[in-house]
Amino acid sequence: MALDELTQMTLTGINLGLMYALIAIGLTLIFGIMRIIQYAHGEFYMLGAYVLYYWAAVLKLPYWVGIIVSAAVIFVVGAALQLLLFRPLHGKNILYSLAVSMGLIFIISSGGLLTFGTIVKGIPSVVTGGVMVFGAFYTYERMVISIVSAGLILGLWYFLQRTTTGMAMRAVSQDPEVSSLQGINTRRIHWIAFGMGSAMAAVAGCLMGTLLSIVPTMGFIATVKAFMIVILGGLGSVPGALIGGLIIGFIDSFVTTLVSADVAYIIGFATIFVILAFKPTGLFGQDWD
Amino acid sequence: MTENTKVAAGVWLIAIAFAFLLPVICSYDKYILHVGITIAFNIALATSMWLIWTLGFISFAHAGFMGIGAYTSALLFTGLGWSLWVNMWLAAAVAGLMAFVISIPLMRTRAVYFFMASWAVGEVIKRVFAYYRGIFGGWDGIFNIQPPKLVLPGLNIDFSSRVAYYYLALVCCGLIVYVIHRIVRSRTGMIYWSIHESEILAQHVGINVLKHKVIAFSTACALAGVTGALYAHYHTYINPKTFDIWQSEFSLVHIIVGGLNTLNGPVLGATLLTVVDELLRPTGWYRVIFFGVVVILTVLFLPGGLETVPARLRALVGKWRKRSD
Repeated sequence: MALDELTQMTLTGINLGLMYALIAIGLTLIFGIMRIIQYAHGEFYMLGAYVLYYWAAVLKLPYWVGIIVSAAVIFVVGAALQLLLFRPLHGKNILYSLAVSMGLIFIISSGGLLTFGTIVKGIPSVVTGGVMVFGAFYTYERMVISIVSAGLILGLWYFLQRTTTGMAMRAVSQDPEVSSLQGINTRRIHWIAFGMGSAMAAVAGCLMGTLLSIVPTMGFIATVKAFMIVILGGLGSVPGALIGGLIIGFIDSFVTTLVSADVAYIIGFATIFVILAFKPTGLFGQDWD
Repeated sequence: MTENTKVAAGVWLIAIAFAFLLPVICSYDKYILHVGITIAFNIALATSMWLIWTLGFISFAHAGFMGIGAYTSALLFTGLGWSLWVNMWLAAAVAGLMAFVISIPLMRTRAVYFFMASWAVGEVIKRVFAYYRGIFGGWDGIFNIQPPKLVLPGLNIDFSSRVAYYYLALVCCGLIVYVIHRIVRSRTGMIYWSIHESEILAQHVGINVLKHKVIAFSTACALAGVTGALYAHYHTYINPKTFDIWQSEFSLVHIIVGGLNTLNGPVLGATLLTVVDELLRPTGWYRVIFFGVVVILTVLFLPGGLETVPARLRALVGKWRKRSD
């Protein structure tokens, strides 16, 4: 294996891994705080990309503002869905939240196919050019995307560690009852967390949409990846999602380049399976009921 | 309670009689018989998935194990020329054995982790079929899987006829449902529900939870394998996409809409929704949206599914009577 190939695969791995981590952290946040299966998480990733598409490619408005708009729109959509559909299921068997979010997948992805059409679309890139790193071509676009993803993950970490709302979120995820005894409005935390998690998926969708192309069915693949990562890292754990994201990103990058995409899936799932067999709660997870 | 059981038994008898008379009623219409066969497959899948649910899990590897059964049977037919009569049992054995091997590490995980791990198993099974072109034919799948023939002295049935296959599917599906009914009604079934209610408590009264989980999971997957074999010989063509996560998702929809508490639920859900699915086929994507709406409405407004409708109505009438007194 030549050095340039290795560099290329490593850079792609980091790039993919951070993006996956961005989606997965949103999911792990939602799970940790609400203990529900949000099976439709990837659909918000798809919707986020489409919001940016309509903003930047159809209306020709500035790209970076578009990402913020997309995140805001999906935040509102996610929070509204939490209040409307997931709040009544609080404390019930996870099967019910699985069923509701499965229904959401059916509605959003088919609705997407009907409204957006089946034609593959692209969002024009705003960053052009690139640089040679050890013989591998690294576009500035990928670099910017990696930096934005890493920045958002760091920002979220800061939010959870330092701000009042962030600390309240961590408290709720540790023990909902005790935290509500301490005066935390858990219902408010629920919809904020759901909105934020969905918005993070939307930003990932925007970034990925610029890099690749967008179709209404891309949400499910994102869900697959996000769940793989979250299970690998442990449900509810933010560092777990970051490390899991990087592991899956590297597997995807290396195995897809060297063998095939199907094998990348097989190895990814086999890795998860082996980890779960030895540590049934993922790498950093707690034992949830 | 006995009154209810009697009513339920009556409804079951009428349903079975109707199913057996269906070819005559629809005057051997090929399309209706096809829908009937699809319903039989869906019932078999939904009920065997429900058997896992009696222990408190949902397994999304179910379609994958159906795939293992289908591929086993298809490969034995195309490779060795064995007919469905032999392959069916081997499909069950292979699917059950694979489930047994996989379930030992899988059953260490719980709740959400189990669901996700089973999902991963389902995806891996599909991808393995897709990747190994030489053995499994890749994404193109396997062609030309012929339905069996039954040659007995004085009896000669060719199952490539739609009516004959309808009865075959009906009988097999009926047997699968009956097996599950017997399991659930037995002492073992009560143990399953106790695990469903509280795993820790079950363990503390001396139930070997892991053993029961492994056996129930393997049994359910073996039954899914039989369904897969029947599916392969009916459609004569299989590819990995058939045994996608979608198949498991739809079985779960059938269970949720039909009802989670008794065996009537998945049977009712699978029958009704397959018919609705066929009726809505011309509407394209709206059909999928409809299913999404139905699932969400059921969970929010009718938890327990359609099977609880009679009891709810009775309660409503009772309340109304009290008020009018």
